[in-house]
Amino acid sequence: MSDGNIEVRNGNMIEIKENIIEIKDLTKSFDGGNITALDGINLEIKEGEFVSIMGPSGSGKSTLLNMIGALDKADSGQIKVAGIDLMQSEDFSKFRLNKIGFVFQLHNLIPNLTVHENVQIPLIETDVTDEEMIERAAELLNSVNLGNRLDQLPTKLSGGERQRVAIARALVNHPSIILADEPTGALDSRMGDIILNLLREIHQKENVTLVLVTHEDYVANSADRVINMMDGKIVDSNIA
Amino acid sequence: MAIFGIAIGVAAVIGLGLLAEGLPSSTQSALTAGAADFSVIAKTSGTEGPNGQGGPVGSFGGQELINQTKIGEIQQISGVGSAVGVLRTMTNLDNTTSTTTNSSSPGEANFQSMTTLIGIDSNSISMNDIVITNGSVYSNGANEIIIGKSAAERSNKTIGDTISISNQTFKVVGIYETGNFQDDGGIVMSLDKLQNLTNNTGEVSLILVKASNGADSDELATAIQEQYPDELTTSSSLSGMDRMNQGLDVINTAVWAISLVAILVGGIIVVITMLKAVSERTREIGVLRAIGWTRQRIIKMIIGESILLSLIAIVVGLIVGIGIVEILGSTGMIPGLMPSFSVSLFVKGIGVALLLGIIGGIYPAYRASKLEPTEALRYE
Ligand SMILES: Nc1ncnc2c1ncn2[C@@H]1O[C@H](COP(=O)(O)OP(=O)(O)O)[C@@H](O)[C@H]1O
Ligand SMILES: [Mg+2]
Repeated sequence: MSDGNIEVRNGNMIEIKENIIEIKDLTKSFDGGNITALDGINLEIKEGEFVSIMGPSGSGKSTLLNMIGALDKADSGQIKVAGIDLMQSEDFSKFRLNKIGFVFQLHNLIPNLTVHENVQIPLIETDVTDEEMIERAAELLNSVNLGNRLDQLPTKLSGGERQRVAIARALVNHPSIILADEPTGALDSRMGDIILNLLREIHQKENVTLVLVTHEDYVANSADRVINMMDGKIVDSNIA
Repeated sequence: MAIFGIAIGVAAVIGLGLLAEGLPSSTQSALTAGAADFSVIAKTSGTEGPNGQGGPVGSFGGQELINQTKIGEIQQISGVGSAVGVLRTMTNLDNTTSTTTNSSSPGEANFQSMTTLIGIDSNSISMNDIVITNGSVYSNGANEIIIGKSAAERSNKTIGDTISISNQTFKVVGIYETGNFQDDGGIVMSLDKLQNLTNNTGEVSLILVKASNGADSDELATAIQEQYPDELTTSSSLSGMDRMNQGLDVINTAVWAISLVAILVGGIIVVITMLKAVSERTREIGVLRAIGWTRQRIIKMIIGESILLSLIAIVVGLIVGIGIVEILGSTGMIPGLMPSFSVSLFVKGIGVALLLGIIGGIYPAYRASKLEPTEALRYE
């Protein structure tokens, strides 16, 4: 599975895996070229890595994340995620369904569906049976401490609770990569901590690749690596 | 709120649909096997008719009468299976003193309480589409009558009761139905009795003709018209009361026009409602796309919701629509109105709702599916 690369860290043997994300000279502009959101991005992220992306507002963090999640197409360059070439023109819904779990800053949930139903959405019309769907969603909600809120509507939940539901939903398909775009941005620091710890815990337990966009240093510092962006470019990338 | 809007549209469709089905059932009811193919009526000269007599019972709009010797003549024409004379008139039964209303003062007659009187030989009632549903047919020449279903309901009369017409007492021996709301509100007696009652001995309003087996009724009608170019003409409308039926056709057309408008309005409401829903839920659609939903699934969802919305609306619409028709019916604003709550209407109504849901949902669903997920997610 791996190329045999071994890195020693904290005295433990950690297997370094293959790149799950490979980006080369990626550019993206909006407004017919007036706004350059991504200006030649080069980035490699390994399987199971926890990478944090920082940078001022408008520096292109969300755009980059959307490229990785195949929500949008780049103008030029190369991008390969989980072995799939995202520069091809096709519908990547299935790719997102199978490989990606998204968590956004706000409004992640469908307001007129219950918490339990929200977590099940990605499994609708998949091979997963109804019973398994219900069970898996309940299990995940239990693990984010919302097992007793299954039948409530998202409007009844606090911001932190909603983010926990969104995280549970992002995990329900056993994705390879979790893309979190400022998931703690709208929360107070106590709530933010809970969410961050939850993501860290999931990253360790599930050995999932985690790409987290954040404004806050303390959040970023818990990552394996921090990437700083500015004006659509990666300005530096250092191991935390 | 959205459901409310659509419900109004659907209620209009259903209510009007009920009316549409209830009113012109005469023109829509298929000719029964025994019924005549067409009727022969006097050619209106435009001037006062040669008969000149209005009769003591109000006649219908100065309809000219035909000498009944013509019946025998028509019977001789090749291709005629049977020909039967019918005398038709109208009277005001509620106010016995006004039964002498002369046709020269029709303005005094209260249209609502006018009752159609039909005189026809008791053996030939099927030619006029009359079907006895209760009791039996009258004996020719006797003071016996059969009354229409809605007339029975309206006057609260039933078999065994008596009705006084033109100072003569008649016994109700049967209840009938024709499927023609005008005639269902009427009274049928033997031809000679009605001729006698109206001083129209030897005269009929129309002659119902049924072509013999194998004969073409249109050709036959033309042949009769050619034989009596100055006196007679034919009408394919069974009752022979062209004006009334034309009125019905107008109502029928109007009802359909209004229904069509209502359907259109309903459709537009569905489109607007769903477009609004799509724009309100832009962010939601972005999230669903991010989760891995395909465009097709978004389309399915929007059209599905649109159909659901329409189905909920039809339940409300049915209740409101039926309610309105019931109220209209109970106030007797439209005499003889028999809203027909047929299965076909319900099917039609649900069909209309489904159609509105699907067609009204297509464009909004298309719009939703075209939303770029990133744009949708930036939308606040
Ligand atoms: N869909 C879009 N249409 C137009 N401009 C956009 C769009 N998405 C992003 N941009 C622009 O691209 C730049 C980078 O945006 P973004 O990636 O959202 O930055 P960040 O997430 O770092 O705040 C900004 O100038 C933003 O206005
Ligand atoms: Mg952003």
